[in-house]
Amino acid sequence: MISASHLTRRFDARVAVDDVSFEVAKSEIVAILGPNGAGKTTTLRMLAGLIEPSAGAVTIDGVQLTRATANSLRARIGFLTEAPGLWDRLTVRENLRVYAGLYGLAVPELAVNHALEQFELSDRDATAAAELSKGMRQKVALARTLMHDPPVLLLDEPTSGLDPEIRRSVRNLLEERRRAGCSILVSTHNLDEAERLADRVAVLDRRLLALDRPSNLRQRLTTGRLVVRVAGDPKTILPVVRRFDAEALVNDGLLILNFGDGHLERDTPSLVSALVGAGARVLEVRPEIPALEDVYLHLVADSSRQIVDGAKAERS
Amino acid sequence: MRRIRALIGKELVDLLRNRAALVPVVVVTLVSLIMPFMIIFVIPRLSGQTLARDPDLARVSRVVGAHGSLAADGQIQYFLFQQFLTLFLMTPITGAMALASHSIVGEKQARTLEPLLATPITTVELLIAKVLGAVLPTLGISLVGLAVYFGGIAAFAAPGVSRAMVSARTLLLITVVGPGAALVALQAAIVISSRVNDARTAQQFGVLLIIPLIGLLVAQFSGSLWLSATALGFIGLGLFGVWILLTLVSAALFQRESILTKWK
Repeated sequence: MISASHLTRRFDARVAVDDVSFEVAKSEIVAILGPNGAGKTTTLRMLAGLIEPSAGAVTIDGVQLTRATANSLRARIGFLTEAPGLWDRLTVRENLRVYAGLYGLAVPELAVNHALEQFELSDRDATAAAELSKGMRQKVALARTLMHDPPVLLLDEPTSGLDPEIRRSVRNLLEERRRAGCSILVSTHNLDEAERLADRVAVLDRRLLALDRPSNLRQRLTTGRLVVRVAGDPKTILPVVRRFDAEALVNDGLLILNFGDGHLERDTPSLVSALVGAGARVLEVRPEIPALEDVYLHLVADSSRQIVDGAKAERS
Repeated sequence: MRRIRALIGKELVDLLRNRAALVPVVVVTLVSLIMPFMIIFVIPRLSGQTLARDPDLARVSRVVGAHGSLAADGQIQYFLFQQFLTLFLMTPITGAMALASHSIVGEKQARTLEPLLATPITTVELLIAKVLGAVLPTLGISLVGLAVYFGGIAAFAAPGVSRAMVSARTLLLITVVGPGAALVALQAAIVISSRVNDARTAQQFGVLLIIPLIGLLVAQFSGSLWLSATALGFIGLGLFGVWILLTLVSAALFQRESILTKWK
């Protein structure tokens, strides 16, 4: 289990991570989303014991990360760095073998063979890392990260640069690790991936803006729009909906009513009654659920506004 | 120990695949191998003058003490082969300096340092592995050179010189002083490598470490430096002590955070 408590990291005057607290339970995947410079990599580095927080604490499986415990805790962590970081002149097997030694695995060759098989790299084991494609390099880096079977995984952009097929196999692998009880924290720019993979999503922009299940996050942001599907041409019911304080639009056989900041919840039952009363055969009525991307952009834009406002207030 | 071994293994394989990096060590070794034989055998033969006829050389060679079994020419040969032995053990270090100065900054530039630091390896283990990764191939090449050096002495030197060379002093030079000096110099180069943020700067500073070796060379051939076996023993121990101290200092100076967050 990973626990970050009030993590703050300053680089001189710049605050990279500001009072961030969260937990990643066993058998849970949490995705961190955030714009460039939001502090995602800094957070991962603090959790991996590579840099010290300016304030706050990290606990891994109940043990607080300190200078004294960092080395032993790193053995329990698999950290995939932003760049694959392979030694170019060494072969795939040699790269993995060195790390098997660095992690002190009892039978290094067995672990290397297992990792090669698991990542379908056996036929490339004698290839020099320099000759691998970007996707293959990332695969080797992932194999290296998981080789010592760590209970905690910190992955910085694990599927960056991978083709859809390999992306899917990485997702399957992470799901497998989750089922095996791993606590997994993934930083990504890929919202679709975050939604598919993660149990919870953290939106970070120096501060933690949100942390929830993707479905809950989507529900937080109301678009104020209602989607209505009726049998037949939706244009026939336009005279009924015009009685309500909403803009109506017909799109792809659906009637979309925009209540704006108005009373979507209050007016929906009356709208349905009016439609049924007018003889419309109503097949579906649902509030439009925003994409995770909309929620993310909304949260980040809000945060940027607050930072700008804060800076203005400070200046004045 | 396992982690140090794993990382040394990586360093050696990496060097094996990049043999060009060892060319300076080999060239310096070859030059230091050829030079004594040129001075001791070829030049006197070409000039038609024996070494014993040079009064200055005869005078400085007396610092080695009397070797009853050696003739005047043999005494000078023994003196020169002993002095060149020290030089021979030191010069490969200059070739390996580039390897050591590049070790940490090179990992950073190749973006391989962060995954390495994310493993349980301690800073001391990392630094020891890095220095041994540069020292072992250097010593390996030196040892091959030494075999040729002693083979050459046995084949060409005056009677009794090769026997006189087999002494506690020689043994100490080869097994303690040479490796000790290599460890100290290359560890210092690694300290530099972990404190500067680009390979060129590391190499520029690394070159400065050669200056004491040049001083040693000058002192040797002026005849003002002749160290007994006991003195060499102490110097050897001192060098290992300095190395341990330097390793601890370099571990304290090794700023994981700065290297990861400030170096580009």
